[in-house]
Amino acid sequence: MTTLQDHPVSGGQSLPQLPVARPDNVWRRFRRASPFALIYSAAILIFYTIIFIIPFGTGIWLAFQNWDFITTPKFVGLRNFGRAFTDQYFWWALQKTLLFSVVEIALGLTLALLFALALSQILGKWQNIYLSLYYLPVITPLVVSLYLWRWLYRPTGGAFNTLLSSVGLPEQPFLASPQQALWAITAVIIWAHLGTGIVLFLAGINDVPESLFEAARLDGAGFWQSFFKITMPLIRPVLVYQMVVSVIGTVQMFEAFFLIPGPGFSTRTLALYTYELGFRALNLGYGAAVSLIIFVMLLGATVFQLRRWQIQWEH
Amino acid sequence: MAGTAETTRLHTPLSPFQRWIVSGKWTKTVVFLILAFFSFAMFYPFIWLLFSSFKTGADILSLPVTLLPKRWTLDAYLMVMDPTRANLPIAYVNSIIVTSGTVISVLITASMGGFIFARLEFPGRDYLFYFVLSTTMVPFLTLLIPLYIVMRELNLLNSLWGVWVPSMFSSFGIFLCRQFVYGIPRELYDAAKIDGSGDFGIYRNIILPLTKPILSALAIFVFLGAFNAYLWPLVILNEEKKLTLPLIIARMANRFGGTDYQAVMAGSVLVSIPPLIVFLIFQKNFVRGIALTGLKG
Repeated sequence: MTTLQDHPVSGGQSLPQLPVARPDNVWRRFRRASPFALIYSAAILIFYTIIFIIPFGTGIWLAFQNWDFITTPKFVGLRNFGRAFTDQYFWWALQKTLLFSVVEIALGLTLALLFALALSQILGKWQNIYLSLYYLPVITPLVVSLYLWRWLYRPTGGAFNTLLSSVGLPEQPFLASPQQALWAITAVIIWAHLGTGIVLFLAGINDVPESLFEAARLDGAGFWQSFFKITMPLIRPVLVYQMVVSVIGTVQMFEAFFLIPGPGFSTRTLALYTYELGFRALNLGYGAAVSLIIFVMLLGATVFQLRRWQIQWEH
Repeated sequence: MAGTAETTRLHTPLSPFQRWIVSGKWTKTVVFLILAFFSFAMFYPFIWLLFSSFKTGADILSLPVTLLPKRWTLDAYLMVMDPTRANLPIAYVNSIIVTSGTVISVLITASMGGFIFARLEFPGRDYLFYFVLSTTMVPFLTLLIPLYIVMRELNLLNSLWGVWVPSMFSSFGIFLCRQFVYGIPRELYDAAKIDGSGDFGIYRNIILPLTKPILSALAIFVFLGAFNAYLWPLVILNEEKKLTLPLIIARMANRFGGTDYQAVMAGSVLVSIPPLIVFLIFQKNFVRGIALTGLKG
């Protein structure tokens, strides 16, 4: 720290003691703070204690117990975590979760980017009309979409099979088949979430200054070249944001696998497994342990993605 | 490109079609048509939803399946509005209570928090803010079981309070509003302070009116989140009279799903109407909201 004594201007002379404000102590600063801010802070602290700190603490504590809501909890050490690694249902659920998540994000983001790119080519009124149409599935309650699609997916008499047989293709079992159910659900979710990505990416693309494209065109760059060299780098923050959010969203996707499940365990993901452990099997300790594993995985995935694509969050 | 078309025309007169090809406008038309096709494909399930809801029970199961009803009827709607068969009207009231409660409380707490964390000084302010922000790192799924236990201890199970309480504050909303308040000139705050306004008065008379754009954007997303919520209400509510609309749809699918799927469709149409109205009214705010939320990095 620079003191007055070694300050270059004062040349090392000793200067008369200047009146300096006494360092504030915490109490004084509290007294000076406005009651409005303090009351709000107290409220928000109480809220997050009840809604976050206590449940999170309870969750960690619970992961080391055996409890079924009725008997007294019994400490079992790391057994719940150990069990997860030997439990084939856990591995199946993890596998379904990863398959769903990866395919949903890869296909969903690619499609959204293509749609946004196409939409950016038309301007004015029609852009908004198309945008609204693509956004409709997003605002529709997911429960509605799921039951609607289950109806369209019916093996006999469903709209999709009617469509398939009318063009001479074999009918498919869709949700009734262990092989197809996961992908049938993935398609619903891609459809339901596509609008979000399109709106975000389009806002990003529309923000790229037109002069950059103009300059690229003068230099002889084609459409795709200017897309990969100009648009993509400039909207990268949006892409990374959407990817991070999608990972968190898809891993936690619950309704789809709960309401229109495929046969057996073919669509039981970690989210559904956690719910069933907690509220069906009443194996709260193990459920808490699985949900903590999900937390650690998501945290790792998020940190990895932000590091990998070098995005700093500005506060 | 327009230039090429002009110069060609000077030499040889082109038909309007040739001009259209040469000018390169045809790519736009092709893109337009492709988008039109895909938006129809995206919309196609909703057409089925709407038409099926006007079918009779025999009609909806008959093969081969047809898009249009053989006989148009409102039976399915009467079926789900009948309180003895489905509790849709009560669920409507429940959903409106929970959703409006959530939206109003989030708007108040977020705008207050945004102002307080951006402009007011008190010890530990930034620590508190970063703590609030860090809670978003823990997925809801991880809190599901223990939060249920906490709600059980607080006697909030099977009540709309239990659905509402965990969403009174939104850390994302606070973050958004804080960013937005930073954009409001500090001088406004200082001037009001010198004129002798209290902090709450400044919030009420200056900050709140100025944060309206971000609040209307936030309101839409909070509305959709609260109205469409499924997992948390499912865990908290189980008495039929307390259920919200998405839960009632699932109940109806179990009850009518076998032979009266048109009732599920009619219920679905009725449930989709509130978000649709909100969307149509605030349509412009959706896109602007995304721009405002600063998600573009």
